[in-house]
Amino acid sequence: MKSTAWGIVLAVIVALLAALPWIGNTVLVQFGINVLLLATLAQGWNIISGYTGYPSFGNSVFYGLGAYGVAIAMVQYHLPFWVGMLLGLGLGVVFAGLLGLAVLRLKGHYFAICTLGLALVMTAIVSNLEIAGSNIGLVLPLLRSEVLFYELALGLLVLATLTIFWLSRSRFGLGLIAIRENEEGAAVMGVNTTLYKVLAFMLSAAFTALAGGIYAYYITFIDPVGVFDIGLNVKMIIMAVFGGPGSVLGPVAGAFILSAISEVLATKVTSIASMFFGIVIVIAVMFMPRGIAHLVQHIKRMGWGYFIDNVRTHRL
Amino acid sequence: MENILEVSGLIKRFHGVVAVSNVSFHLKRGEILGLIGPNGAGKTTLVNMVNGTLDPTEGDIVFEGQSMRGVPAYRRAHLGIGRTFQVMKPFPGMSVLENVSVGALFGANGGERNLGRAREQARACLEFVGLGKRIAQHADALGGPDRKRLELARALAMKPRLLLLDEVMAGLNHVEIEEVIEDIKKVRDQGISILVIEHVMKAIKSLSDRVLVLHHGEKIMEGGTDDVLRDSRVIEAYLGHKRQ
Repeated sequence: MKSTAWGIVLAVIVALLAALPWIGNTVLVQFGINVLLLATLAQGWNIISGYTGYPSFGNSVFYGLGAYGVAIAMVQYHLPFWVGMLLGLGLGVVFAGLLGLAVLRLKGHYFAICTLGLALVMTAIVSNLEIAGSNIGLVLPLLRSEVLFYELALGLLVLATLTIFWLSRSRFGLGLIAIRENEEGAAVMGVNTTLYKVLAFMLSAAFTALAGGIYAYYITFIDPVGVFDIGLNVKMIIMAVFGGPGSVLGPVAGAFILSAISEVLATKVTSIASMFFGIVIVIAVMFMPRGIAHLVQHIKRMGWGYFIDNVRTHRL
Repeated sequence: MENILEVSGLIKRFHGVVAVSNVSFHLKRGEILGLIGPNGAGKTTLVNMVNGTLDPTEGDIVFEGQSMRGVPAYRRAHLGIGRTFQVMKPFPGMSVLENVSVGALFGANGGERNLGRAREQARACLEFVGLGKRIAQHADALGGPDRKRLELARALAMKPRLLLLDEVMAGLNHVEIEEVIEDIKKVRDQGISILVIEHVMKAIKSLSDRVLVLHHGEKIMEGGTDDVLRDSRVIEAYLGHKRQ
């Protein structure tokens, strides 16, 4: 009964979001596209890092591949947008599969550092590919339909969130959580850890690449430094971690809340705006290291003690 | 009776250290084999090689007629080898029920595909080990003895045909040890073959059909439980030489 009520509330929220272009103004829709894409990226990161426990700094690579898939298909081959999306999706997923087989053997910090290096390498490689416009970039055909991009981004976010909802209550998802909690224990109990990790990485890459594809057509100009941006990867991590990694809705909440605050700061108090994400990291790590999702579940029972408890257990 | 497990010439070297040195033994179907020896004798290393967490340097392990060389740990779980860890490896962020469900979902033959049925099986295993009332708790909220029970339930949920028990009774009191001994007997009566590492001699005496003794990585004796426990070499390995 409780879960049906939740489902109805969420469906209403999605319907309201879908109706936003007809209620709000252009600025709000443009802001909405950015937030929805960021939330999708946070959800993609949530799959490999929140659920499977492998902190990826290389997800921006899949984003860039998705963007370039669309750009190359449309600019170089004059193919329709959706073919470009498929190309970007294919590039991202195949690359994640090959890469995953190699780097998912590393754990913790080593995995993080390795994927971080990867983003830098990809920028250099793409800058030297003529088909990708070298370091100048590619200019896509202009489509003045913000509503279309908004609804596409919303659809992708809903799809990503439904996938994670399924993950949270499936055999596959439980296998991923087992890997996160204790990889050796999971293998001994029969989880094919290598296969599961690579599949999770590919699933994560799929949503990230599709978000990149929508972004490319929406923004109409991409270059290597812009779409293989490590800063973007840091953003998705902060949003997912702030919201609650390993939860279904946490990363979405994190993306919405942080984007809204940072947008307000950027227009009102510009000097603080650039420090904002740094401050968020410090506060989140000290007082609510498990994110909003965990906070919401425990604050009722523990009150302010929740924050004190976190500071104590982490010896700050 | 056929052998479910045959181990021949097993050697494990960690660089210069020989942890297990040329050990051979077999386990008959439906049998309980005790594995004893002082700390550092190589018991856990031996079990690690049987279930695939460690690769042997030399030698072979044959489970139900099939060589386990190059077979990864998760495949061995599918084939029917289940184990518990001395240093327990629960999934701390999961509930007790979820912990055991993982065993049911991924164990023998790749496990149960249906989440609901897996939960039912997990619940039955938890009832069996006496954790039926704690299924909703988080695994890291359990105390030592209950963690041992959880470890056993997780292995049982895998529906193994060979069960490797690595010190499931360490840290339990007398009453709890009696309970676990009865549990293990019931497990054997279901037709599951068991290799049991234990320092609790009462348990080894009342459970084992035969006993294998390791010392400094070598097999120093194998035989009927009473004979082995009375043997002077075994007593020496545990207690040292008798002063003249």
